[in-house]
Amino acid sequence: MENELRIDPALVEEFLKFNKNLIEAPKMVPAIDEINLEMTPYDVAYSEDKMRLLHFNSSIQKQNRIPVIIVYALINRYHILDIHPQKSWIKNLLNQGFDVYLIDWGSPTNIDKYVGFDDYVNGYIDNCVDFVCDETDVEKVTLQGYCTGGTLATVYSALYPNKVKNLIATAPVIDGKKDTTVVGNLAKHMDVDNMVETIGNMPPEFMYYVFSILKPFEQGVEKYIHFFKNIHDKSYVDNFLRVEKWLNDTPSIPGELFRQWIKDVYQDNLLIQDKMYVGGKLVSLKNITMPIFIQVAVGDHLVSPECSMPLYYAVGSEDKTLRIYPTGHVGMIASSFSQKKVLTELGQWLSERSK
Amino acid sequence: MGTEAEHTRKIDFKETTDYFKHLSLFWTDMAYLITSKPSALTSAGPMRKLTSQTKKLASEMIEANEDLMEFNTRLTEYYKQLADTWSEAQKRFNSKVPEIPNDVEHIESSKRVWIDIFENAFTQLFDSENFGENFGKLISSELELSKHWNNMLAVLLESANIPTKSDLNEVYKELHSLRKRVSKLEKYEKKIGTEHNGK
Repeated sequence: MENELRIDPALVEEFLKFNKNLIEAPKMVPAIDEINLEMTPYDVAYSEDKMRLLHFNSSIQKQNRIPVIIVYALINRYHILDIHPQKSWIKNLLNQGFDVYLIDWGSPTNIDKYVGFDDYVNGYIDNCVDFVCDETDVEKVTLQGYCTGGTLATVYSALYPNKVKNLIATAPVIDGKKDTTVVGNLAKHMDVDNMVETIGNMPPEFMYYVFSILKPFEQGVEKYIHFFKNIHDKSYVDNFLRVEKWLNDTPSIPGELFRQWIKDVYQDNLLIQDKMYVGGKLVSLKNITMPIFIQVAVGDHLVSPECSMPLYYAVGSEDKTLRIYPTGHVGMIASSFSQKKVLTELGQWLSERSK
Repeated sequence: MGTEAEHTRKIDFKETTDYFKHLSLFWTDMAYLITSKPSALTSAGPMRKLTSQTKKLASEMIEANEDLMEFNTRLTEYYKQLADTWSEAQKRFNSKVPEIPNDVEHIESSKRVWIDIFENAFTQLFDSENFGENFGKLISSELELSKHWNNMLAVLLESANIPTKSDLNEVYKELHSLRKRVSKLEKYEKKIGTEHNGK
């Protein structure tokens, strides 16, 4: 009897409960396809090719004259900035009295394989800025870029400083050589010319692979166990599924844009050295002289803080602020923490410079 | 010594594939020369085009075989790296948690330890120069295989008078340049209009 296997009854109970949740899940939880990620209502103010400029509706009186244009990233869609009523970046800015526009890049297809950095910066972003200036009768706008959108917004501000009143760079990719993430490591060893020549656009499947190895056990295993353990928590489930849907909505990246991105930003590291050319124009970060607010996250596993922070030292602005937050890449923009801390500080900084 | 043997094996393999490539080209060329006259009668149909390009299919297949070897080498190395990291991480976990606990609290904490150890080990691997280099080469060899596949498809598409990938690329390129020109003209027109209205 000494060899008898003793199992804690609580363990059996836990196991049975987990299995019960697995069986009950389909009855309690909607399918990913049934979830609508559109939250805050908007109008499509301007569009060009697949790009759309969204103008968000607000019932709050505008307290800041200068409109904000958010340049969304090239990875996934903009919905993460408006993922949940209690965690919406956009809604928070609207509630603080800002007039908010956002550039949605859409889902590029094969026909867009020759669309490059030049088209994005000197074409789409510049046209959006001109449109908003005309619409709102201002000469300059506030530009906020998130992740790779932060890089695009930075490049634009360096090329058109006379059109940008304030620049907000949230986790921007700037100094590719200093990036310590897995993304940076893979980018440095990629034969990008061969890839673009052979398959055209950067396919979503490849990006899924890259994301899957970022935190393979936490994101690939643990989070789903946690999900099935908590299927009775409606708010948790709702938030989980919305983020999952966002994570799985990954459009391709136009081939030419991807080629220049990998080569100039990661492999040759030209941007931080003021040696990058976009549409024949030299991008000098010293030309950024407007007020700038840089936000980085210590736990960012997609864009490491070491990769974003050099922007602070490279710009020509005298009015510059760097904020480092104890959170991650997504936590910085779509969490209770971002609502309480990140957006409060940003709103305060911005409203002082938006009159 | 192992490297030298591997090198010799690679040379042998290359010689063999080169021989088969030559053999295939020789006979497809001969077959084409012998049969091209009567088949010219059907020059409007797909078969003449297809027969004239059959040798392309053969040489693409042979070259794809060479690239497949490189792909397999890289893929084997890729899985080896994963397997080595897994066993190293498991060893580390075993030394920290020598006995599997049988109560909820301890299972929960040992799961946390397991995830932390594995997460760290694999992140270290994915961040390493070795992994990056092999992965880059693995993707490149996969791209080479895709290229052969595209080229073979192009032969079949051409024979049926259907646009190939390079035909479409030409169209995309032209379209992109036209879009750019239209956008520039629209901007210019707007500027002229604004100046004209004295705005």
